[in-house]
Amino acid sequence: MEGPGRTLILGVETSCDETAAALVTEEGEIRSSVVSSQAELHARYGGVVPEVASRRHLELVTPVIREALAEADAGLQDVDRIAVTRGPGLIGALLVGLAAAKAVAWSRRLPLVPVDHLDGHVASLYLQPDPLDPPFLCLLASGGHTMLLDVRSHTERELLGSTLDDAAGEAFDKGARLLGLGYPGGREIDRLAREGDPSAYVFPVARVPGLDFSFSGLKTALLYAVRELDADELEARRSNLAASYQHAIVRALVERVREAAEQTGREQVAIVGGVAANSALRAALPDAAAAPLALCTDNAAMIASAARWIDAVPYPKYLALDAYASR
Amino acid sequence: MLTLAFDTATAVATSALVDGDEVLAERVSRAQTLLEDVDALLRQAGAHPSDLGRLAVGLGPGSFTGVRIGLATARGLALSLGLRGSGVSTLAALAAGAPGGLPVVDAKRREVFTLVDGEAQVLAPADLPLDEGALCVGDGAKRYRQLLEERGAVVPPDDDERHLPRARFHAALAGEPRPVDELEPLYLRVPDADRNVQ
Ligand SMILES: [Zn+2]
Repeated sequence: MEGPGRTLILGVETSCDETAAALVTEEGEIRSSVVSSQAELHARYGGVVPEVASRRHLELVTPVIREALAEADAGLQDVDRIAVTRGPGLIGALLVGLAAAKAVAWSRRLPLVPVDHLDGHVASLYLQPDPLDPPFLCLLASGGHTMLLDVRSHTERELLGSTLDDAAGEAFDKGARLLGLGYPGGREIDRLAREGDPSAYVFPVARVPGLDFSFSGLKTALLYAVRELDADELEARRSNLAASYQHAIVRALVERVREAAEQTGREQVAIVGGVAANSALRAALPDAAAAPLALCTDNAAMIASAARWIDAVPYPKYLALDAYASR
Repeated sequence: MLTLAFDTATAVATSALVDGDEVLAERVSRAQTLLEDVDALLRQAGAHPSDLGRLAVGLGPGSFTGVRIGLATARGLALSLGLRGSGVSTLAALAAGAPGGLPVVDAKRREVFTLVDGEAQVLAPADLPLDEGALCVGDGAKRYRQLLEERGAVVPPDDDERHLPRARFHAALAGEPRPVDELEPLYLRVPDADRNVQ
């Protein structure tokens, strides 16, 4: 540790299927970021199972905190405050991280910073070495969320639009399942799509009013296309289907981003969330700022980062703090 | 040595601060406010977190989420304060509070958790092994009072102390303390998703 006293923010994130802890400085430098993904565990179910996720979070929550401290060559005596995801997410999963974080904070009389998971994703853009400064238009797309945000400052954001049904990442997962690919589906489709022709199939993108999204019709269209094929035909056309399906999702996202940019007059666009790791989306928005891949998916560095702009709750006011599944 | 004991497996969370055989303070609330209780216990005893010597934690069976809140809290405390702890079955703590009684914890889905020959099991209330006049305690006994009484069991009034798995019993039953990260919940049920996959 350089410098005297407490200077680090400990972040804890357990809202879905990643158990994560990180140490971040006040300036947004990541000292450590440990993510223990449960993706393999959930692959056999084809999606995240809340009870399975919660059980795993309990096993992993303190080991990831220990590892984050070790990697940063720090101890809890170097921690100034503890940031933890309070919601939205799987309630049973959130409660594990919140209970552990509260216990650590209480035992040392440290303040606690409850962080909204979505603010965390946005704050992934504020980390070193290339922090982005507001204002900007932000597309947050993941397995749980798809929304367009007008980020005015580090503390103010307006929701411009969100999905009316499936999240974009969910659409990838469901599409991957229909194509007989593994979980998580986004990565699998992305890989297969590189060998396919994105114009081989035309999948409809639902036009909903305003700046909202809808992906459930797309999934149904893929289902019909797959249903007409026997096993050999599916094998032969799988990469074209993947490329066309991905193209449709990306087109829907990009169109909305362009419309929102026009309406708000924002010149800077940023993409965050697991879907921001998609290579076709990145190619379609070449000027958009994006966090490094490891910070796109759920992690705790983004939670600690968000805490830099949120008032900390002093001891003992957070002791009865509860998590929330949705807002 | 100060033992902090708590159990969040049932709808009523219990906690106690115990020094040797002496119960310094006790609280009853809900799992979500466990740390508020813990804070109050230490204030009452004029103690600081760093004065704690060990933990005794209820492992269930009971509410999955409730048990996890207790164990995640214990893990956080152990990590921060360098404590070791013991896991104690919620059923064993209930039984200790009602000598000769059968612990019956509501398992939802029209089932209860109980001890059969000292082993935790999940059963339909109608399948509980009951002798005539058997004393049944716990939130499961309260919930299925009518059925149990029809089968000849004795269930104390709802507000009877013995229905609570008082954390002082966890402290009393605690064995040799271990690394808290090694303590695991007594789930007794696999996740539904596993049942569907199998
Ligand atoms: Zn997320």
